[in-house]
Parts: sequence; structure tokens; C-alpha cells
Amino acid sequence: MGVGKSCLLLQFTDKRFQPVHDLTIGVEFGARMITIDGKQIKLQIWDTAGQESFRSITRSYYRGAAGALLVYDITRRDTFNHLTTWLEDARQHSSSNMVIMLIGNKSDLEARREVKKEEGEAFAREHGLIFMETSAKTAANVEEAFINTAKEIYEKIQEGVFDINNEANGIKIGPQHSPASGGAGGSRPRQQADSGGCC
Amino acid sequence: MQRRGWLGGPKPPKNPHSLEHLRYLHHVLTKNHTITENNKSLIVEALRSMSEILIWGDQNDSSVFEFYLEKNMFLFFLNILQQNSGNYVCVQLLQTLNILFENLQHETSLYYLLSNNHVNDVICHKFDFSDEEVMAYYISFLKTLSLRLNEHTIHFFYNEHTDDFALYTEGIKFFNHSETMVRIAVRTLTLNVYKVNDHAMLRFIQDKTAAPYFSNLVWFIAEHVRQVDACVRANVNHQQSDRLRDIVAEHLDHLHYLNDIVTLENNMLNKVLIDHLLHRLFFPLYVRSLADGAPGDDNEKPLVNSVTALFLLSQVFLIIHHETLVHQLAEVIFTKNLESLFITSPIEHKELLQQPESLEKLLSSRKLRKKTKNKKRPNFRNLGSDEEIEIKSSPEPDAEALPVGVSSEFFQRQLSIAASQTASSGSSLEASLGSISPESHLDRPFLDTIYSALNCTENDYTAIFALCLLYAMLQNKGISCELKRIVQLGMGEEEKRNESYCHWLIERLLRIISKAVKPDSKIRLATLRLTVILLKKLGMKNGECVLPEHHLTCVEQSRNESMQNLQKCLQEEEMFLDIFEDEYRTFMNKPFNVEYLMMDSSLLLPPTVTPLTGIEFTKRLPCGPTEQIRRSIGVFLALRDVSLTFCKEVETQLPLTREQDCIQTDDKLDLNNSDLIACTVVGKDSKNRRFLVVDLYQLILVEPDNKRLGWGVVKFSGFLQDVEVSSDPDDSRTLHVTIHKPSGTRRVPMLAANFVFDDHIRCMAAKQRLTKGRMRARHLKTRRIAVLLGVSPDAHDDPFSSSYLLNSGYQAPRSQFRAFAEPQVLRTDAQRPGVALNQRDLSRTPTARVHPLLKRPGHAASRVSPVKSGGRIGNLGLPLLSSPSRASSSCSSSSDEKPTSSDGDVIEVSAEVPDESRESTPKPEIVVESNPEVTSVEVVTSSEDSRSDDNEEVNAKMVPDDVAVEVTQNETETETSRSASINEIARE
Repeated sequence: MGVGKSCLLLQFTDKRFQPVHDLTIGVEFGARMITIDGKQIKLQIWDTAGQESFRSITRSYYRGAAGALLVYDITRRDTFNHLTTWLEDARQHSSSNMVIMLIGNKSDLEARREVKKEEGEAFAREHGLIFMETSAKTAANVEEAFINTAKEIYEKIQEGVFDINNEANGIKIGPQHSPASGGAGGSRPRQQADSGGCC
Repeated sequence: MQRRGWLGGPKPPKNPHSLEHLRYLHHVLTKNHTITENNKSLIVEALRSMSEILIWGDQNDSSVFEFYLEKNMFLFFLNILQQNSGNYVCVQLLQTLNILFENLQHETSLYYLLSNNHVNDVICHKFDFSDEEVMAYYISFLKTLSLRLNEHTIHFFYNEHTDDFALYTEGIKFFNHSETMVRIAVRTLTLNVYKVNDHAMLRFIQDKTAAPYFSNLVWFIAEHVRQVDACVRANVNHQQSDRLRDIVAEHLDHLHYLNDIVTLENNMLNKVLIDHLLHRLFFPLYVRSLADGAPGDDNEKPLVNSVTALFLLSQVFLIIHHETLVHQLAEVIFTKNLESLFITSPIEHKELLQQPESLEKLLSSRKLRKKTKNKKRPNFRNLGSDEEIEIKSSPEPDAEALPVGVSSEFFQRQLSIAASQTASSGSSLEASLGSISPESHLDRPFLDTIYSALNCTENDYTAIFALCLLYAMLQNKGISCELKRIVQLGMGEEEKRNESYCHWLIERLLRIISKAVKPDSKIRLATLRLTVILLKKLGMKNGECVLPEHHLTCVEQSRNESMQNLQKCLQEEEMFLDIFEDEYRTFMNKPFNVEYLMMDSSLLLPPTVTPLTGIEFTKRLPCGPTEQIRRSIGVFLALRDVSLTFCKEVETQLPLTREQDCIQTDDKLDLNNSDLIACTVVGKDSKNRRFLVVDLYQLILVEPDNKRLGWGVVKFSGFLQDVEVSSDPDDSRTLHVTIHKPSGTRRVPMLAANFVFDDHIRCMAAKQRLTKGRMRARHLKTRRIAVLLGVSPDAHDDPFSSSYLLNSGYQAPRSQFRAFAEPQVLRTDAQRPGVALNQRDLSRTPTARVHPLLKRPGHAASRVSPVKSGGRIGNLGLPLLSSPSRASSSCSSSSDEKPTSSDGDVIEVSAEVPDESRESTPKPEIVVESNPEVTSVEVVTSSEDSRSDDNEEVNAKMVPDDVAVEVTQNETETETSRSASINEIARE
């Protein structure tokens, strides 16, 4: 059983799937338009699921993405314990600019909670990540998690940290016919949903 | 309006998760057989709902899936596709399929969905791949399917009779797509396919697709390599290093991918892949390029720079450990020369530069041919070899097809080489056989390139890669020991030629080290550390040093030289302590990782000095005198490390302060008789009442312990050496205190606060104590470095000699709470070659020798004894406990305390006596207070300075019932310090 990455992803990219308790459903890829600062931005989100055994694949994913969501399951401590390894891997293989958000998923299962919110916060503080607890089941914070990551990426683009002409960063300038107030057009940060240990 | 009436029929049921809902969807799709602009959204919504209801059914109600099959609803999907209904609908269709194939849990549901070849029809459908969204959903669809492949499901995708495997053949067409994520998905797909253990399918892959796919793959890797090289040539000034970084990372991705394939141990596939890799990439491009400038091949120009080749080969050997592959590669590098290489792998350059036909073409031509030939001769093997011939013979000298930059001159050269090669093929065969037992090094131009790179004639630009390559080869599990022995120091009897090589290698390494020690050396720290790693690898066998005496002497000489270099700086550079500790921290915390080092593309550019390039310090040369010192420290630490390893000694003098000796937050301290100053610590958004304690090395803020009178709980501790303190010009009771994190380059304050005292006097006392404490802590530590560097403590001009310290008001250290200095192991000085005994003594003599407290868990003598009698008062007369209620609570709550010393335990408390008082200090007075409940032993040194500095006293409190106290004094143990140790025997 996973930590719920693909469910988060589906919940974010296709809101028409109403979360219900007798249905577990997810997807490995999704795209969605959002608006930040009056600019249309298309997010492409790729799930790394099932590729853990191939080093070449996880490695390349990190490099191709502008942001990553590092997800653990608050009802399973082992997924939290694996975070360090995942983070180290991500940091080693990505550019230092990659925005990483830490997500404690399944916050609806309060009764089975094994990882305290404070622990997640402390881990995030220690490693300079943004932190949020979400629930793909109730859709709590799902929107915020992805949009905040995108905002962070957007800010970095504004600051000139990302070279937007280099597509290897996972960012691409969209066509010019953006409905947003003239100029830059929509950029397309690519994100990657990453697992805090699936087994 | 019209729509609603037209739709008519059943309305969508209230519950979207029910069989009725699927019935309703069936109705909608039947009614809307033709897709128009008007019903588009309806169709999309129906497709979306379909995935939802089917997954719900799979998880909750089997009748749902039965209905789906009964009505053969997959046909709706195909119908929609055939109508070319536009990307909007296609995207939803693909996403619906993605959701279905990802979430179905029941195998039977999955099998039903896969049967009838419908999925293969979707795979083969010509979507509009120019729409990047369609592309992304399509490739995710293929990837999702590949994740469901296993021995059972493979037959739904691979059709043995028609020899079709659309999932794979359609997928690999995108292997070089411009989008990174698409390329990654294709790689994932291929790996998932190769993983399935199905003979017929793998045979198909090998015979029909391996050659085209791998030849394309290899060609694109070669293209990348040429781009890397071009980038290096164009980038001498370190501009556009981003581009270089990206293509180097891309090359690494390729190597990891190749490694993932070969480690699947799929023999059929590996044979083809390894053949392509060796003969079309590694031999003709990587290895050949090594021989750049080697004698005897003037008219031969390799395709890439030899530096680039060294770099690429080290990456190969670091990443790929597959025996067949790396062994052959290593063998060629070690034993062959250009001529014999050509015989092993007769591939022309122009052939290499020729791009293979595109996969799409190759794969479709296969299909055509299959149609014509298959009936007559259904022998897959023959077909496969046909293709291989086709690829090899296809490159005609067609100038237009060649990449730009290949001149006709190049061709001529190639042709002449080819001619000469054929002419001399007879003799070169002999030569190649002879090269296995060569008389001179000239027969091994590739190995010679590696060795001559170690010379570091101008700088270490190429040396670092040569070292890496040698390291990677020695480390590689796939290379046999016999082969490694060519470069390794043999354990047993070695033939002379081999031994000369390894002697040669070790001597080269030692030469690099001795060059690195020189003040103006052009050797970067990274190179030195790599050299040291390699030297350790060659010099240590089964935990024993196998280096001959004269080599060991060289190591020691270099170490001494690096110590002497630093001795000067120690006196001149004010920041020395900080730089030293910082460098030590980086040395320890960042273990040198060769694989990470080789990921850094900036190494490919000539070594630079300026930090403006953003290149890490260890990977460039020092800029300015401070960095020069930092570098010298780095050299010293590396050499000290290798010297200790060869002598099999354990580091005992570093770090200067060990973490476990420091007082941590939440520690409980016995502060009876300590100097405490009450103050209010006003931070950014906090305001706390605290007591300030100045220890030997640390500034500590405590809060009274409400369980034990006279004790305090540590709320903050920071190093005095990092304290900055200044008075507030407007408020005489306030000090600005900043303590920086000891984390190196970035000075991050771990505490920046105002300390507000009760009055001006206390404020001034605190300031004085902090300032003095800082100075003392820094002196103490600097003196330890001096000892480490072999500076004589008695030397007259030594600023840290005892007289200097006395005059500067320096107070010798006394540990207040715990023994701070590390337990010094008396070292029997091993007789080491080339080192004068007195030098060794100096460098290894511990400054402060203090017996460690005999600790049990939670049981430092000063931290455990419960105090039940009235509160003791600090030296400044400040009561530790202000509220009587707290005091009383402390008396009653001894139950949660950790167990105190139990019967028969021996607790040894040591106190260091300052060395400057060696001659003048009278014997310490031992005051034993007898108290019904507390036995307090105080060692008071009555030196001339008895105004009770805060560390003047060492308290050791006993649990009640301790009666006998034995005091011994140990005068003989060290020359620099005297220890008074108190052995206390607890008895009933």
C-alpha cells in the first residue's frame, strides 16, 4: 500500500472525482491549469511510482522537475523514517533550486496517526522544506499543497533563480496567447510527486 | 435547450457508484455514437465517470464489471478513437484508460480488459503527438501498461504468432523525444519489458528490435559525448557551465540506464547491447581518444579530447559493474594499443559518425519485410542478422547525411588509415599478441595516458580524472583480480613488469602528495584527497600496511612539511582557530564521495582560482591568503589521516571539542558554588528569565530545576569562542550578545539577544566574564592545535606559552561540570621511519590530560546526587531558587530522579590543575565537609589568584551514606598538567 501519492495527484488534477470513502483511486500523471499572480500556469505532475528499483529512472526524474512533493503517510512511521534517504537522493540529483514540499498524507485517519504533526514540521524546518498535512480522502489541503509548491517555483522564476530558457529545469515558457495581462505568457513548471517509501 | 430534450431517456442516477450509473453511461454512449462539437463535453464526462464507476465496481461490486463485459463497452473507446474526435476527447480517453489500468485490483478484471487485442489497437492509434498534452498522456498510458507486465500479462501484448509487440515497438520510437519526461517514461517502459522473464518475447526483442534500438541509443550517446567535448573546448573561460552540466548529467543518465539494463542479467539482450556498447562507443570513441598525442599515431586524431575521455571512462567504471562489459573494457585499456584495438574492434570513424536510420523507419521496414519474407522463411534469427548487416552496410560516404563539422579531409585521413590498417593487419596481429607481454610501456598507450596524466606537470587538470579512473577500476567488482593486479601492488610474487607499474603508481601518488604540500602548489584539495584514498587502497591490505619503508618515510615527510607550513600561519592568522575547526568539520562531515565528485561537470574545465565561478573550494585553487591557509589545513588533515591509517592509530586529538563532552540543552547541572548571574534574555519574540553560567568552553543559560535545589536545567548552550558581546550605549544594564553557529562559511547566529541584568555591576561582571571566557576558550583550543602541529609549548616566542598566558590574565582551565578534554590515551610512540622521535612526541603530546569521569548512564558524579538540604547560593549571592514552594517541591520529588550511584561503585573525579602553577602552586587543599546527608568534596587550589574565578572549584557531591573518601594525587602522569583525582568508594 502506498502513501497515497497517486490519489493526491488525481484529487488535484481532476476535481470531478468526489472523494468517497469506499473508493481508492489514483493516477500517475495529470496536468492542470492554475492561475498565479494573474498568469496562467500549466502544471504537469508525474508520479514516480513503481520505478524505485531502477536507479536511472528516479535519478532522471529529479533532474527534470522544477518541484517535488515528498509524501509520507502519517499512519505509518516507516514511511516517515525513509524521508531522509529520499530527500538526500533528491538533493543529490536535482538542481539546488528544486522546490521540495513535504506532505504528511492521510490526515483524515487521526485515530491511526503514528507521526505527530510537530514531527513533520520539525523535519521540514530542519531541511528547509515547506510542510503540509493533507488528505486525499477529504481533499483537505490538496489544492494548497500543489498550488503552494507552484507559487514557490513561480517566485523563484521571478527572482531569476531558474533559467526559464533551459528546459532541463522542468520549466517551459508557454505560447504567447495567454489570457493573462500581456508579456510572459504561461510558464509550465513540472512537478513530481515522490514517495516517502512505498512497499 | 435542444440537448436536454434530445438526451431524454433515463436521467443520471443519484448514486454515481452503482450499476445503474453504468447502465446510464451505456445509454449515453449508445445514443451519442457520433461525436460532434455539441456532445463533446458529454462524452468526456461519460468517459470520466466510466473510469470512476469501473474502479468502484472492481473494489465493491462485481456485477458492474460483468455488465461492462456483457455490453463489450471497450468498443465505445475504439469507436471514439476512430472518429478522430480531437485532442480534448483523446486526452480524457487516455486518462480513463490510465486510471483503469492503474487501479484495477482484480486480475480477472484486468485480463478481461486486456483481451481481444483492443488495448493494442489503442497503442497503435496515430494520436496527434504534436500536442504535448496528448503526448504526455499517451506515454503515461504506455508506462502504466508496462508496470502491469509479468509472465502472465505479457501474452496480451506480445503476440508470438504475428510477432507483434506494439507496446514496446511504439514506445521506443520516442526514446529520443525532446521532452525529458517522455524519455524517462520510455526508459521505464523498456526496463519493465526487459524485466519480464518470457523467452519468446525476449527472443523477439533480441532479434527484431535490439539491434536497431541499441544502435540508435549508442549513436545518441556518442552524440552527447561529442557535445560534451565541444562544450569543454568552447568553455575554457567557465562561461555557460549550465549547458555543460546538463549534458554531463544526461550522459550519466544514459550510463545508469545502461547499467540498469545489464544488471537485469538478461543474457540474450546483454550480448547485443554489450557488443554495441563496446564496439560502437567505448572502444572506438572513449578508449581511442585516450591515446591522444601518444607516440606512433601522429596522423590519428581521436574524436574527443583525452581529458574528456578520462572523465567519461571514470564515469563508466564508477557506474557499471557488469563483469563481461567492464572486464573487456579494462582489458583493452590495460593491454592493448591502437593497432591491436583496431583488430579487436574494426570500426571506422566515419561509420561511427553515421547516424543509424531512425527507429521508426527501421521498425516499420522490419514489418514490411516480415510481410514478404515471413511466410517463406519464418526464422527469426536470420531475419535479425539481416538487419544487422543492413545497419552496418548502410553508411555510404554520403556527405550530406553526416553531422556538420566533418570535413572531407577527415575522410581522406580515415581512408588512408583504413588502408594502412589493412596492409599491416598481419603484423599488428602479432603486435597485439605481443602486447600481452610487453617489454616496454610504449605498447600500452592507453595505460600510459593514464599514468602520464598523474605527472601533474602544469596542474592537476588531467590528474584528477586519471586518479578517478584508477580508483573506479580498482573498486569495480566486475574486473578480475588478475587484471587489477596490473596496476595494483601484488600481494605475492609479482612479475617484474607488473611490479614496476605499481611501484610507478605509488611513486606517482607520493609525488602528487609532496607537490600538494608545497605552498604554491597547483594541486587542488579534491585531487589530494583522491590521491590519499587511492594510496590507502593500495597501501593497506587486510588492515596491514604493505608500503615499503621508504614510501612510508615519504608520507611522513610530507605530513611534517604540512605541519611546518601551518606553524607559521598559526601565529599570524587571527582566525586560524575558526578556519581550522571549520575545515575539520567539512573534512569529517562530508566524506569524500568519488561518484559525487565525478558528477560535477565543472571539473571538466581547466582548474580555476576564482570563487566567482561558484565552484566548490576543494575543486579549485585557493584565492587569497585566507583560503591558502584553509587549503594548507585541508592538506594537513588529509595527510594526518593517511599517516594515522598506515600506523594503525586511532585519532585521539581531534576534534578539539567533542560533542559528547559539551553541555547540551536539557542537561541538568549542579550549580552549587558556581558563579551565576541572573538576567533576562530578550530575543526577537521571547523574553525569559535565565541564569548565565560561563563554563570552560561554553556559555550556558539555565533555569532553576524545580526538582532539586541548587540545580539548573540547561535552556541554551553555545560556544564561548563564537560569542560576540557589546554593551548597550543607552542602557548600562544591557548587553548585546550574539553567538554564531559553528557551521562554517555562513555565519548564522544561533542566538542573538539582549541580556538585561539587575544592575550595572552585574552587567559589567557578565561582560567581563564573557570576554575573558571567550579569550580563554580560544587560547585553550589554539594551544591544542599548536600541540597538534608540533609547536613546542616551551618555545620562547610561542604566544601560547604559559608565561604569555599568565601575563594576559589567562586562567588555566578547570572543568566545572565534566571533564572536557578528551581521554588521552598514553601512546607508545611507534617507531616510524623518517620521523625524529622528538617531533613525534611534540605532535602527539596531549595538552590537557584529564581523567574522564567514570560515567554510567545519566550518572556523571556531579549530576546525580540529590540535594536535600537547603539551597546553596551562587558566588554572587544570587539565590538559585526564588520561590520557597519550588524549593519544597524539590525536596519531595526525588522519586523521578535517575538512580544514583549504587553500592560499591567507584567514582573517579578528576580535576585539572593548571600547568603554569606547576612550580608555585601548593598542593591542593582538600576540604571534606561532612554533612549528614551530603558529603561534599572540594578541591581548592590556593594559587595566588584565589579570587575565585568561576571555574576554580570542582565539586563532587556524594550520595548520602558515603563515608569514606580517598583522595589521591597523581603528579607523575603528564608534564603539562597535574591531575588530582579523587577516588570515592561508596559504601553502605
